[in-house]
Amino acid sequence: MSDRTVPLAFDRVSHWYDDVVAVNDVTCSIDVGISGLLGPNGAGKSTMLQMAAGLLPPSSGTVRVYGESPLERPSIFRKVALVPEREALPTMLSARAFVEARAVLLGLRDPKQAALRALANVEMDTVADRKVGEFSKGMRQRTKLAAALVHEPTLLLLDEPFNGLDPRQRMHMMRLLEARASDGTAVLLSSHILEEIEGVASRILVMLSGRLAASGDHRTLRRMMTDRPHTVRVRSTNDRALASALLSSPTVMGVDLEANALIVRAIDYTGFAHHIGVVAQQASITLLEVQPTDESLEHVFAYLVAR
Amino acid sequence: MSVAYGRISPLATARVLVRLAWARTFSVALVLGVSGLLLLPVLFALAFASRGSLSGDPVAFLVQRYDTLVCALATPLIALLLGTSAFSAETEDGTLLYLVTTTTPRWWIACVRVMYASIATGLLSAFAVWSTGAIAANGSNPENVTTAFTVAVSFGGVTYAALFTALALLTRRALVAGLVYVLFWEGALSSTFPALRYLSVRQWTLSVASALTESSEKTLQNGPSLAASLVGATVLVVLSIYIGGRRLQRPRIMR
Repeated sequence: MSDRTVPLAFDRVSHWYDDVVAVNDVTCSIDVGISGLLGPNGAGKSTMLQMAAGLLPPSSGTVRVYGESPLERPSIFRKVALVPEREALPTMLSARAFVEARAVLLGLRDPKQAALRALANVEMDTVADRKVGEFSKGMRQRTKLAAALVHEPTLLLLDEPFNGLDPRQRMHMMRLLEARASDGTAVLLSSHILEEIEGVASRILVMLSGRLAASGDHRTLRRMMTDRPHTVRVRSTNDRALASALLSSPTVMGVDLEANALIVRAIDYTGFAHHIGVVAQQASITLLEVQPTDESLEHVFAYLVAR
Repeated sequence: MSVAYGRISPLATARVLVRLAWARTFSVALVLGVSGLLLLPVLFALAFASRGSLSGDPVAFLVQRYDTLVCALATPLIALLLGTSAFSAETEDGTLLYLVTTTTPRWWIACVRVMYASIATGLLSAFAVWSTGAIAANGSNPENVTTAFTVAVSFGGVTYAALFTALALLTRRALVAGLVYVLFWEGALSSTFPALRYLSVRQWTLSVASALTESSEKTLQNGPSLAASLVGATVLVVLSIYIGGRRLQRPRIMR
């Protein structure tokens, strides 16, 4: 794919707000299809999307949209649309008036028709004349999407698009994005929930603390996350004896003895879960608590970054 | 992809931008605030008129009230409310994004918002001047003072509106910054130090009024020349639109 046809490319891009680094030396490109930007809050996802839309200049590195810098170039919005995370909309306007306003500002020849089509696409045509201020969170989310799709962009940037959607709406949004992608649109959507992204994105970019921690399809990422060492907190009737028994287990990498518990670093979590019961029974020890300590997304991301 | 593009229509985009601005500006508090500012000179005029022949020189009365209540208070504060409300609210809640992710030129967005605030401020200020004059001078236009101030406050309204519209894009605290400007710079400093009158919208407004009236009231004789005022106002309006347009290229997006 030549530089001019790559919808979005980041080359060693960093961005910092005063002395806070939001994005740190990220290189990646987004092609046609759905790509997911996954990371905890504050990972730099929104900053990446705003740089892609030319609203923020990179502090270093280059961002290219179809081979050109998007900075101070309103004409890129013929091809690009950004759906922000915040749900605020002009509450006094109807959904139709709002989407039509966008169509006019984008210079569409038939704004009324384009607005109707976009609202129908997100199943909002039946409530198009209601004021946006009366809408639920999910309806606002779909109105935002209609406003973004009104000019049928070929690069669609979505910041946490599934927020506030019920399962049916979420499914509908996914189908909609898939349809756009199969029509040749490059979709980049951000989320802090893996399950939201893995169902729809063919490629996932994992961000943590501004860095691109990992990328690949969801199977690759799942494998990376499952195969990592896990930390488990164990309490028993005899922690010291259990520690020495566990050290001989092939599923255990190391054991730390704390005041009232053991901290076990397991290589293979599933194997360890089976094995600890057997070991405890053989040593006549009663297990009081077995608790994974690092299952949060932040821990998973931290592991991917540290690899 | 089947969507067809036309030329960006200045009129259609202006209509949309004004509609969005109005949706963000209109509130009961704003209507009450603006009404209060407009009623103040009218109430003084009613009090003046009710004293009949004992009330004194209507020209002196009108020039003083136009200066202190309209040029120094109503016009700048209405311009401040109308100039800052739309962009400030849109920046605060993030809806500015829906304007700046379009193909409409940024300078045009700034320009339309300046025109919106200017026209509204000019019309409202002119109404306050005209009704005050009609009541105090019993329907006459002594020494052309009402006409002169009607034109002058329209001119001042445009200048203030441009300044405050740009201010809304430059700082999160545009309302406070604007109030400090109106009360401290215009109200205290530029009235005290003659050199600063060349940098005062209020004094520029008085210069325009002075050039159009036959009155020789002292208030009208202290400002800069008409040419200096026109040049100053033109530079300020053009600069405000330019800065506003530049600012919209890289807007502050609140998170």
